[in-house]
Amino acid sequence: MRHGFSSSILVAALLISAPRAGIAQAPAIPRMPDGRPNLQGIWQVLNTAAWDLQDHSARLGVPAGQGVVDGTEIPYQPWAVKRKQENFAARATADPETKGYLPGVPRIMYTPFPFQIFQTPTHVAMTFEYAQGVRIIYTNGTPHPEGPIEWWLGDSRGRWDGDTLVVDVVHFTDQTWLDRAGNFHSEALHLVERYTMTGPDHITYEVTVEDPKVFTRPWKMTMLLYRRKEPNVRLLEYVPGLLMEEEQGELERRKTN
Amino acid sequence: MHRGLATIVTFVAAMAAAASLAAAQESGRPRVIAGCPTTDNLAFHTCALQKAKTFNPPRTASGRPNLQGYWRGRLTQAFSVEGVPADDPLIKDPIMPWVAAPPEVIEPADGRIPYQPWAAALGRRGVNFKEYIDPRTTCSTAGIPRLALQDAGQILQPPTEDHILWLHDDHHQFRAIAMGQRPAVGRDVKAWNGLSRGRWDGNTLVVETANLNGYTWLDDSGNFYTDTARLTERLTMIDPDTIHYEVTLEDPTVYTRPWRLAWALVREKEPGFELIEEACREGERSLGRLREQGARFYFGVPWRFR
Repeated sequence: MRHGFSSSILVAALLISAPRAGIAQAPAIPRMPDGRPNLQGIWQVLNTAAWDLQDHSARLGVPAGQGVVDGTEIPYQPWAVKRKQENFAARATADPETKGYLPGVPRIMYTPFPFQIFQTPTHVAMTFEYAQGVRIIYTNGTPHPEGPIEWWLGDSRGRWDGDTLVVDVVHFTDQTWLDRAGNFHSEALHLVERYTMTGPDHITYEVTVEDPKVFTRPWKMTMLLYRRKEPNVRLLEYVPGLLMEEEQGELERRKTN
Repeated sequence: MHRGLATIVTFVAAMAAAASLAAAQESGRPRVIAGCPTTDNLAFHTCALQKAKTFNPPRTASGRPNLQGYWRGRLTQAFSVEGVPADDPLIKDPIMPWVAAPPEVIEPADGRIPYQPWAAALGRRGVNFKEYIDPRTTCSTAGIPRLALQDAGQILQPPTEDHILWLHDDHHQFRAIAMGQRPAVGRDVKAWNGLSRGRWDGNTLVVETANLNGYTWLDDSGNFYTDTARLTERLTMIDPDTIHYEVTLEDPTVYTRPWRLAWALVREKEPGFELIEEACREGERSLGRLREQGARFYFGVPWRFR
């Protein structure tokens, strides 16, 4: 009886799954007229990387989270370990985010705010609810402009590796951090990002972080981007610097009136 | 206080607007654009509407007019949408001299914004100009339509035709224009650039914008609208390198009737031209001094605090 019951379940499972096996291996993804994956839409992470890239327990105002760093450890040079610890201790005021600045890349990719992707054969543009950030990724074969250039969101040049968008990013400042826990980089930061749709509503985002001034070797983060599917979803606006100005202006208005 | 403030404001404006000086210099006003006279913006506008009737624009794969590329405002200056008369004292300003120019206003025909009396006292180099900070100095967007008259912009048209993206050099501003019918957004959702919906009217891209927070100015003179404004822009190619740009401004709080501005967007053809990141707040050093001089942020009670 027992044996026969298991067998019938097994048979049923085979009957159900066999015709679908092909679909499960290659889920359909939306495509552009030129056949490239269509990455367009409004996306957002659902992780805690904005607070801390690594494993961490909850703190007041900080959700607990599992890290997004492959291999868990960030390979800091010895001096940089100390600097990261100092950053963490002073984070309430030292984090550039507290000044309302552009947060840098990759940090802008995993703020807890949505962003929108637009795509043409020659450009992939990303617009961010956070700080009115814009990334223009040229997929027209042009190289990075000659440096040194220090841009807050770097210079992005992309190419397609099969169905994966690969973006090379250079020309950064040393003024941005990687998260609210004090993880940081220098202006020598070099990123290689890989965007791969794993289904119509998910993008696997992998980013290799290289910075010979701060780390002993390149390291990698991996996370998922989720499509925002609310029928009325639109990218709105959260510009921290202007919100600070507005609050300040209101304080002054109340004082003088 | 006002005199000192005005000097500092002018100085800061000069620093902040260094990149947009080219757009502000009317001395470079071309005599003809797309075969149309440019003696004043109304003459250009009238001619451009005729051109638009017969010009067959380049098209995207799906047959829509292809507006993609880099564009710069022409027949524009950012001093005043009402123009700068030749005898304006600011033309002789030693720090940031203004330049004489005809108005960008094409309706009403007198080139004057149809303000309600209370609003005329604020705009038109009134109280706003004398006592308040040009919001652009806070590193905000220049606002609509001021974005389209300063610096370079880029239009991207994804072949899916569901959005048009208008990017601007100025303080890394962008406008995502959602094409076609979309669920309405509640009026309590505000944004510096508002929220825009677009549609095609023949060969014309029509962009309707509401949900504006009303902080932005139209020009350096403090001309303005409020958070009840509705803007309708019309972009029409009149030759391969020229877009006729027109915007109708409606705001029952401020104006007595709808009114219109018009100018040209001319294709930027410099080889290898790209938009560059114009971070602003990240290097901003002058707001503190402006505040010490007594300049304030907004003339009224902002919608958020009412």
